[in-house]
Amino acid sequence: MTWSEYLWFAIPAIICWLSAAGIVYISNKKNLANALMILGTIIFGAFIVGLWIGQERPPLRTIGETRLWYSFFLATIGFVTYRHWKYDWMLSFSAVVATVFACVNIFKPEIHSTNLMPALQSYWFVPHVTVYILSYAMFGAAVIAAFIQLSRLNKGKEDAQLYAFIDNIVYVGFGFLILGMLMGAVWAKEAWGHYWSWDPKETWAFITAAAYLVFIHMRLQQYHKRFVLWMIPIAFILLMFTWIGVNYLPAAQGSIHVYSN
Amino acid sequence: MADNKKQIWQFPWRYSESILVVFGLMVVGFALQLTIGKFDFSLLADPVNVKLGSAIIVFLVLFSFVRNTQFYQWFSGVPFSVSLISALLILGIAMGLIPQMVKLDPHAHDFWTLLGLRQVTSCWAFVLIYFVTLLSLGSLIIRRLIKFNWRDYAFYLNHIGLWILLFASGLGAADIKRYVMHVMEGETEWRVYSDNDDVLDLPIAIQLNDFVMEEYPPKLTIIDRESGEAQPIDKPDYYQIDEKNPIGKIGIWDVAVEEYIHEAVRNSDSTYTAVPMPGSTPAALITAKNRETGDVKKGWVCGGSLAQLYMMLPLTDEYAMVMTQTEPKRFMSDIDVFTEEGESTHAQLEVNKPLKIGNWMIYQYSYDSTAGKASSYSSFELVYDPWLYPVYFGIILFALGSICLMWSGNKKKGVKNDVE
Repeated sequence: MTWSEYLWFAIPAIICWLSAAGIVYISNKKNLANALMILGTIIFGAFIVGLWIGQERPPLRTIGETRLWYSFFLATIGFVTYRHWKYDWMLSFSAVVATVFACVNIFKPEIHSTNLMPALQSYWFVPHVTVYILSYAMFGAAVIAAFIQLSRLNKGKEDAQLYAFIDNIVYVGFGFLILGMLMGAVWAKEAWGHYWSWDPKETWAFITAAAYLVFIHMRLQQYHKRFVLWMIPIAFILLMFTWIGVNYLPAAQGSIHVYSN
Repeated sequence: MADNKKQIWQFPWRYSESILVVFGLMVVGFALQLTIGKFDFSLLADPVNVKLGSAIIVFLVLFSFVRNTQFYQWFSGVPFSVSLISALLILGIAMGLIPQMVKLDPHAHDFWTLLGLRQVTSCWAFVLIYFVTLLSLGSLIIRRLIKFNWRDYAFYLNHIGLWILLFASGLGAADIKRYVMHVMEGETEWRVYSDNDDVLDLPIAIQLNDFVMEEYPPKLTIIDRESGEAQPIDKPDYYQIDEKNPIGKIGIWDVAVEEYIHEAVRNSDSTYTAVPMPGSTPAALITAKNRETGDVKKGWVCGGSLAQLYMMLPLTDEYAMVMTQTEPKRFMSDIDVFTEEGESTHAQLEVNKPLKIGNWMIYQYSYDSTAGKASSYSSFELVYDPWLYPVYFGIILFALGSICLMWSGNKKKGVKNDVE
């Protein structure tokens, strides 16, 4: 199988995913949403397997190929997370982001063949990036919840359920974040010779993790509620900075994490 | 609101005291930095780090005998740990915003340099906060281990994993050695240059049997024949040669690759033949058709190398089609490694596929990039890190802890007493 057959798999998979993303909100159609999500992921996975066989090598060498894996793992891990925690938005989020990555490969076909440099050709690449994307989703949801809670706090009507949700989602997101960081460390040891070099991207990942640690630990006690809730959007801004902002920093010129030419 | 009634420094200590203590540590750190200069990590080199590490563990065990004091409770408690993490966060932001130097300019006397913020990891303030974090986290772990409870497995995995990781990576930093070794094809080398350009003999010798490089097929583009710049200048247009998809477009030209030879050598009549040898380069027979004028041009293009000239296909008086330089897909060194103990290992080193021998890791580092696959040497990075196993042990525990977080979230008591 080659990229020319891509559309035959991508379009049915996208239809399944997007339908699941909508149907999950209809309370008596949850099983249909589950089935569509699984079906879409299987169809998409079949293309990856076909491409693997057709090219006689694991599809990990071009940017287009890594994008296939993002879609696949986002759909898979997103679905498992949704089943486990029963957050409907989690299913929609992972279905939509998986669709976005699948669509980039349809509308910008030239990137199928944009080559990856040898340092990026690693089995760690895809899981390292995928778990980060999922942690961003969790932390993004936490920001919305934190603002709702802040406005309730101002009216003197805190919501215990909402606190439970925020704590949970931050714990889950932090698990994904640390896993991504540790996978990055192991990969860095294999590719660059050291597991932690204080490269600007690593430094900002450290800052982000520290900010979420402040939130998690302050929540163990009941003091300074407003400050604690504000830590969530602050930490999220730091997270966005780690993700995107680092590329524009003078301190990051020469960073090994900046790959664009 | 009991907080307000108690005087500062009166137990139990909370955030005010914690922040003041951490602030004091930072002030002491910066004062040391200004008076005696940066913290010299090489002082910790083996055996000092082993002794210091043992001393830390002995201290933590002895300290735990006073674990019921309010001081111990505070030292291992939430407000102090949050203050320490915040200090690391602030120093991290300094590190993330101020460009960090590998080597300081000895004549630099600006504010950031004097405070040590151009090398935050060797700044006394950072080192002190790191050290106290190790003690605070350590005393928390011991306190909780004494009251061991299986249900706290996620707590143990995360905190012990992090502690081992911090302990081993910080104390072990001084023992890490990194060298680059250049080996000519067919030769054996054991000498490297140190940072001061002294020649050092290593206990490891590398024999380079063969250096192999695979390249991606190059791209085609149109250049200005005068300036050599790819067109259009603001966003050059490229066609990636792909034998499965030999038709493409560059600007107003339709391109068809009639024949592609990945390892080509030029014949005397300016055509190309496939000859797999180090000096060969990709070449392609191209037909280009101008969609506006219907003009058709056909000819060979080749990016050239040190061994042979490039070849372009003139399109107009102004423009020509050329082939870009190839990008490396994979480079591999076939090596034999010999140790002082008389052991030898055969390996094929690639990027992302290092070789581990004892406490040494050997990496494919570089090659002669001007010669590309004709490079006559290969460079290896040799990294010595005797603390790697404890670091990996910490990483594994911490990773298991984060999986627990993902799976269990924050399922505990919580919900009710949150809103009280």
